[in-house]
Amino acid sequence: MTTVALGPKDFKSELKPIWCPGCGDFGVLQALYRALSGIGRAPHEIAFVSGIGCSSRIPGYTTAYGFNTVHGRALPIAQGIKLARPELLVLVAGGDGDGFSIGGGHVAHAVRRNFDLTYLVMDNQIYGLTKGQLSPTSPHGLETATSPYGSLEDPVNPLAYVLSYGAGFVAQGTPADMPGLAKIVEEAIRYPGFAFVNIQSPCVTYGQEVQQMKVHKATMKTLASVGHDQTDRIAAMRLAQDYGKALYTGVFYRNPEPPPTFEALVRERQTAQGERPAREKILDRYLQRAT
Amino acid sequence: MRAWIEIGKETGAEEQMAEDLIIGMAGSGGDGIVSAGEALVSAAASEGFHAMMTKSFGSQIRGGESSCRVRLSIRRLHNPGGVLDVAVALNWEDFLRFGAELPVGGDTVVIYEEATGVAPHEIPLPGVLPREVFAVPIDALAKEAMGTDKAKTSVVLGLLAGWFDIAPAGILRGMAKRWGKKGPEVLSGNEKAFALGQRYAAEHPLAVARKLSRPPDERVGKQLLLDGNDMCAAAAIFAGCEVFGGYPITPSTEVMQFLTREIWKYGGAVLQAEDEIASIGVAVGASYAGKKAMTATSGPGMSLKTEILGLASLAELPLVLLNVQRGGPSTGSPTKPEQSDLFQAAFSAHGDVLRPILAPTTVADTFRVTVEAFNLAEHYQTPVIILSDQEIAQRKETVEPIEFSRFDVLSRREPAGAELEHYRRFLLTESGISPISHPGMVGGNYLAAGIEHNEHGDPTVSGKMHALMNEKRFRKLAPLERRHDLFEIVGPADAPLGLVSWGSNAGVCREAMELARARGLQVKLLVPTLIYPVAREVYEGFFASVEAGLVVEQSHQGQLYRILRMYVDVPRGVTSLARSGANPFQPAEVAAKLAELALGLQVRHGRQAQE
Repeated sequence: MTTVALGPKDFKSELKPIWCPGCGDFGVLQALYRALSGIGRAPHEIAFVSGIGCSSRIPGYTTAYGFNTVHGRALPIAQGIKLARPELLVLVAGGDGDGFSIGGGHVAHAVRRNFDLTYLVMDNQIYGLTKGQLSPTSPHGLETATSPYGSLEDPVNPLAYVLSYGAGFVAQGTPADMPGLAKIVEEAIRYPGFAFVNIQSPCVTYGQEVQQMKVHKATMKTLASVGHDQTDRIAAMRLAQDYGKALYTGVFYRNPEPPPTFEALVRERQTAQGERPAREKILDRYLQRAT
Repeated sequence: MRAWIEIGKETGAEEQMAEDLIIGMAGSGGDGIVSAGEALVSAAASEGFHAMMTKSFGSQIRGGESSCRVRLSIRRLHNPGGVLDVAVALNWEDFLRFGAELPVGGDTVVIYEEATGVAPHEIPLPGVLPREVFAVPIDALAKEAMGTDKAKTSVVLGLLAGWFDIAPAGILRGMAKRWGKKGPEVLSGNEKAFALGQRYAAEHPLAVARKLSRPPDERVGKQLLLDGNDMCAAAAIFAGCEVFGGYPITPSTEVMQFLTREIWKYGGAVLQAEDEIASIGVAVGASYAGKKAMTATSGPGMSLKTEILGLASLAELPLVLLNVQRGGPSTGSPTKPEQSDLFQAAFSAHGDVLRPILAPTTVADTFRVTVEAFNLAEHYQTPVIILSDQEIAQRKETVEPIEFSRFDVLSRREPAGAELEHYRRFLLTESGISPISHPGMVGGNYLAAGIEHNEHGDPTVSGKMHALMNEKRFRKLAPLERRHDLFEIVGPADAPLGLVSWGSNAGVCREAMELARARGLQVKLLVPTLIYPVAREVYEGFFASVEAGLVVEQSHQGQLYRILRMYVDVPRGVTSLARSGANPFQPAEVAAKLAELALGLQVRHGRQAQE
């Protein structure tokens, strides 16, 4: 592992983002550059995996190794990378549809396996890339291209969802407070285990009025300001119930005693096997001896 | 060929030595009939016989019907054989459920449980009354030996050892190993049951004694015995597989079970994922990270994996995917073999995709094919599909020790030196193969993506670039079609009769060809290891002399036949011989078809001469 002095610019690639002017994801990207420069791992030691959606374009805008995969499957692919090369810093990003609709089934398992991954969800409560359809986090009653008479469903609560599966680090941020978000993301990366950051990232084109940067700036409230103890999982769960009503930023929960990661247990198991046998011995047990 | 069962056999001899013996046994799930088969095959293998065993079950977890077929021979075996030489029925209901899987002929020695109350001349086999039928008090002998019916299988082993002289010493050794752990009483009870079975056989001799010939001494204690799934997993370890992502599905699960016991000591890891999609995701992630990776499944799982398979093709990531075929569609017949996932393997893709497909024909062959799959995947940076089937995957077979030094193990072409200064991951080279880096490599940073890219890996919507990249991805695989070593041709080059077969059915056709040639038919056989892309030159060379022939496979549609017709000018006289799974073809049946074809050729030539 090399630790070098790197500035935010060292993580910026030459690709120009396809996002709409004013998209929240620009702020997320800035926050990420800043967080990564704080971490100090060289870009070639970082694998940045995403799914499909506007926000999933983000790996290409960094100088890290990127893998813009298929819709909803970033987490399993990221786990494969971490399993293969645990020494890498592995980041995962995607939108609310990618993470909680098509890929929703993978979240629980990524959480319970506890690889040291950082999962950034850019939650805008809408499908932007396909031009404004209902998302799993869209509020009940929302009128969209696929719910012209209003949504009949209740939204997923990403914070409560991830907390309830036992994630060791759960936080929320908004690009309306870019420096604050950078700090949260850096903290998430530093957490030794599965870390989840729900980023309320406004969609300027299809998003709701109440989900725009201006409104975020006016309504966001740090968890510290309400006296939240981030080691208290039950308190975190209680505050998470306000998802969709209040915009809390900061760390909801941080396990004060992080359990061993999956990759650490894998290494332990590999080491416990002792000396590596010759691969040519692999069939010896099938020999049918005559004695 | 087999000494007494084939058409035209001699009768009336007092004693014949058998060179080949096919035993089929069936009972209910708790009877231990499969354990008996395993004991038999293991003993015979240790004493140098070529041996093969297939199992067949209902899909119940416990109880239900179960059966096995054991074939022993002093010659190399190609398939589990056709009509049984010996049939063992612990009860008739279960035996009859297996129908065509356990066919009985007039020369079959039938042994069944006397307590069924069925008289020997009234056994419920439709259309046949075998000459030698024994109602044996198996249950009663077991109780006499051990006080319970638990020792029934030991009685059966004693009967078989007694009547056919099958490896009694080996069976006793196996019993000591298996029952010794359960205490001296259990072991001695089973030994007594075995002895009672042997004594019963001695007191009730066969009308025509059929002792199995002894195999040559040099094979004694030198053979391996294993099934295709274990062989595939072992080959994966040998080829350097370091990450396996899996999800349990019959009949492929044993591959994951083997690897999760073994892979850690080689520095690798297995992850049992939450679903089929995640399991291929894990493998693709590991491959992107630069490690050799694999996933395994069966038909329905393959359907779920298809999207990420497309990603691996576009991102040009090496990956080995094993599909152990079973009867389909949907849940279909999960415990039975079929060769009906070929269309799926070749064509279930979005976009223009070419994925190499390889098929093993035997357990031994599974080693070669698996190593080849890893080599192709790494060399060409592509997913490679191995199409095995339930029969090969779950049948046990004797295999000569592998000569590992004969196998090359290839690695992917990584960028080096100047290539890393202005690294282009998808560099348009003449071969179509580009240098591939992985996270952690200085200077190799790039964006892998499912979205079309330029040479650097940057996303593009340029139609021109998309066409260039498509062309590149097909160009790199073009040399495969000239891999003549991935095809086996047996028989005279100028033969007018031709057989083509793949997977487990190739073994049936090998024996069918031997039968046909013994009857003077001029026939040759083509067995492809590379199923797709279709190697046109190879087939056209093979078909050049062929006027009539058969493409033999186990699927309703005759999928290989149809794919060949897409790419190859198949002679009009070559037709499809195909039927659904769990109705295995028999060598004699295929040979008879060949005889018909030969006759047809004579008629046709005669007519042409008259005209």
